[in-house]
Amino acid sequence: MKKLIAVRNLRLCTKDCLCLYVCPTGASDTENSVIDTTKCIGCGSCAGACPSGAISMVPLDYPPQQKKSEAVLAPAYALANAKARQEQAARQLAAAAEGDGLYRLLTAMARSVRLVNEDLLREAGYMLPQSGNAHALLQRLADEPPGPAFPTAAARSLLARLPNNDEP
Amino acid sequence: MRAICPICGYVYDDAAEGVPFASLPDSWSCPMCGAPKLMFEPEAAPAAPAAQPAAAPLADDDMQQLSAGALAALCSNLARGCEKQYKEEEAALFRQIADFYTAAAPAAEDPSLEGLAALFRADLDGGYPGLSAAAKAGGDRGTQRVCVWGEKVTNMLYALLARYQREGEAFLQDTQVWVCSVCGFVYIGGAPPELCPVCKVPAWKFDKIEGRRPA
Ligand code: SF4
Ligand code: SF4
Ligand SMILES: [Zn+2]
Repeated sequence: MKKLIAVRNLRLCTKDCLCLYVCPTGASDTENSVIDTTKCIGCGSCAGACPSGAISMVPLDYPPQQKKSEAVLAPAYALANAKARQEQAARQLAAAAEGDGLYRLLTAMARSVRLVNEDLLREAGYMLPQSGNAHALLQRLADEPPGPAFPTAAARSLLARLPNNDEP
Repeated sequence: MRAICPICGYVYDDAAEGVPFASLPDSWSCPMCGAPKLMFEPEAAPAAPAAQPAAAPLADDDMQQLSAGALAALCSNLARGCEKQYKEEEAALFRQIADFYTAAAPAAEDPSLEGLAALFRADLDGGYPGLSAAAKAGGDRGTQRVCVWGEKVTNMLYALLARYQREGEAFLQDTQVWVCSVCGFVYIGGAPPELCPVCKVPAWKFDKIEGRRPA
C-alpha cells in the first residue's frame, strides 16, 4: 500500500516541467496540472526534482493526536471563550461603525481574533480533523443537533469521510 | 539607553540614532512592525524572576464548555486543517458548521470600544499568563508557542484600539489595514511588512482589509 501521494501547489508551480520527465507513471502529466492521485505511486521523484518546491508528498494516514493535559485545557478553553466574545464585539462594532477607518480596523480585529482562536484551539486537542476529539465532537453534533438550522448532513458526511485515528 | 520592541525585537539605540528614545514623540512607532512607542521596553530590564501566575483554577464545569463562538473557531480551524491536507470538500463541510456557530453566537450587549479594550486587557493580564504557566508546567511546547504569538497579537490590537481612541479617523486616513493570514498580526501602513514580525511569514501572506465601498 502506498503511504504518500504527490500534491502540486499551483501557486508555486512555474511549469518548468521537470516533474514530467521523472514521473514513472505519468501521474504528474495532466491538462489541469492537478496530479492524478490514482496513478501516483508516491515515489517522491517529482517532489525531489521540482526546482520550485511546488510538490509536497502528503501522507495518506496521519498519526494519533497528541494528548493534552486537563491543566492546560481548562485555561485554554476559558481563553477561547474570551476570544469568541472579542470577535463578536468587534464584528458588531464594525457593523455599527460610521467612519471607514474604524470599520476597517474593527473588521481586521474580528479576523485577527478568529485566527488567534483557531491557533489556540488547534493546540488544545483539535489539530487533526482525523482525531478522536474531532470525531467525538462531530458525533455529538450529529446525534443532538444544537439547533434546527444546524447542518447535520455536513457533520454526518464528515464522519463518513474522515477516519478516526485514535480508534484502537 | 537601548529600547526593545516587544513585538518584533527591533532595538532602538540612542547612541546610534542620535536622538534619545525618551525624547521621541508619543506618536512614534516601531519602524519594523508599527508597535507604538509606549509598548517599548528598556533593554536592560532585569529579568524579574517571573512570579509564576497560578494557572486559572478549575472553578466549575463551565470553564470546560466551549461557547458557540469558540466552536465556530474550532470548526474553521479544522477546515484549515483539511485545506492543508488538500481535502477541499471536507474543508467546505467544516466551514458550513463553523458558519452555523458564527451565526448562533449570542450578540454582545452594548458593545463599546472601551469594553473591547477591557477584554483584550483581561487576556493580557490573566488569560495568557495563566495558560502560559500551565503549559510551561506541563512541558507543552505547542501551547507555549500559541501564547507567545497570541500575546503579541493581542498587545498590538490593544495598542491600535488605544491609538484610534486618541486620534480618531485621522489615524487611518490614507493608509491601509493589513492582517497576517497566519497569526492574525494587524499592521497599519501603505504596504505590508516584508516579514510578519510575529510569525515571520512573507508579505504576500497579509490580507488587505477593504472598506465598505472598495475604491
Ligand atoms: S517541476 Fe515543479 S515547477 Fe516544474 S512543472 Fe513540475 S511542479 Fe511545476
Ligand atoms: S510521486 Fe512519483 S508517481 Fe507520484 S506524481 Fe510524483 S513522480 Fe509520479
Ligand atoms: Zn504573522
